[in-house]
Amino acid sequence: MTTLATTAREEVRNWVLLHAKDLSEASLTDTTPLLEARHITSLLVPDLLLLLESLRQEPIDLANLKAGDLRDLRTIYARFLPE
Amino acid sequence: MDSLDRLVDKLCESSRRNFHNVYEYVTWPKAVEPESQWFMTPELCSLHGTEAWDLLDERAQKRLAFHEAVNFFSLNIHGESALMQGLALRLYGPRSRTMSPYLHHFLDEENKHSVLFGTFCERYGKKIYPDRKVFALGEPSSPEHPEQGDFLFFAKVLVFEEIVDRFNLAMSKDTRLHPLAVAINHNHHIEEARHLAFGRHICADLWAAGQRSWPEEERRAIIEYLQRFFLVSWREYYNPDVYRDAGLETALHGRVSKCNPWQLQSLAWEHPASVARRAAMSEKCKTFFAQISALPEVMAL
Repeated sequence: MTTLATTAREEVRNWVLLHAKDLSEASLTDTTPLLEARHITSLLVPDLLLLLESLRQEPIDLANLKAGDLRDLRTIYARFLPE
Repeated sequence: MDSLDRLVDKLCESSRRNFHNVYEYVTWPKAVEPESQWFMTPELCSLHGTEAWDLLDERAQKRLAFHEAVNFFSLNIHGESALMQGLALRLYGPRSRTMSPYLHHFLDEENKHSVLFGTFCERYGKKIYPDRKVFALGEPSSPEHPEQGDFLFFAKVLVFEEIVDRFNLAMSKDTRLHPLAVAINHNHHIEEARHLAFGRHICADLWAAGQRSWPEEERRAIIEYLQRFFLVSWREYYNPDVYRDAGLETALHGRVSKCNPWQLQSLAWEHPASVARRAAMSEKCKTFFAQISALPEVMAL
């Protein structure tokens, strides 16, 4: 994995920890369900999308975005911040 | 007849008196010139007040203002789409008997607004900017209190329309703007005045009833959600896609250290001039919600 991708992924993880309710460093894993468990609400999604766009320096195709694309950190990394 | 019935009668009468054919409301020029005409009040553009704005020449500022106008109209379309769905769901619903006559006008007028916004965006901008509020999940309304869903719906409509109306009012009077931009904003402002009066009344009634019957924890969750909605509504006015389409990265290259679309979005959002503009334009809305105790008086934007 490149250093750039690692840094970007860390930023996303930190963002989730900052905004997610009831999640600690220890309880947030790469497979913790973010939307389904309501750790991230739908009103936080626009900011998460902006963060992902800024990290990958590329717009996200919103028309084809599915809730499953933001299921957990592992899915987010694979979908938006590939190695 | 209670005060809501009287308001519904008054608003219905006003809507019928001002009923118009949206397809004859404005004349659509074949083309517009985004770099030589203003389509958005410059002082309302998201970057206004920043160093980046000052570094753009007037043609580039006008080009940016045009894309900001397309974004403003796009977010109106998305807001009105959600609004029309909510209104249609409530037509003749169990809790909307007395207001249904006005809901018909509300729907009709919102549909007409979207015709104007959509025509402008498609015809001249060749696009409608997509909505980043892609999922509508997790509203904090309890199934035991369906009126909470009604309150949240009308409160969100009010937040959206109060902000939009500040823009509409300013641009309906701005003689620097292309007459088409003035006309669209003027039409929206006039009709929104009725919608806002209705929304304020409904929100005040629902929240007053909720304060008596909804558990404190649920009311707190509603307030928290509404605060977040307020913030997200404003965020949409700072769209990186707009900066990309306006060619700002090229125009500012070498003159502003961070000028990619997302860096400009952060710059615009965080700049003290923007913070002050948001605060000023949110004042009326925040005062209303503070008066009915549905939002704390101080709310950071």
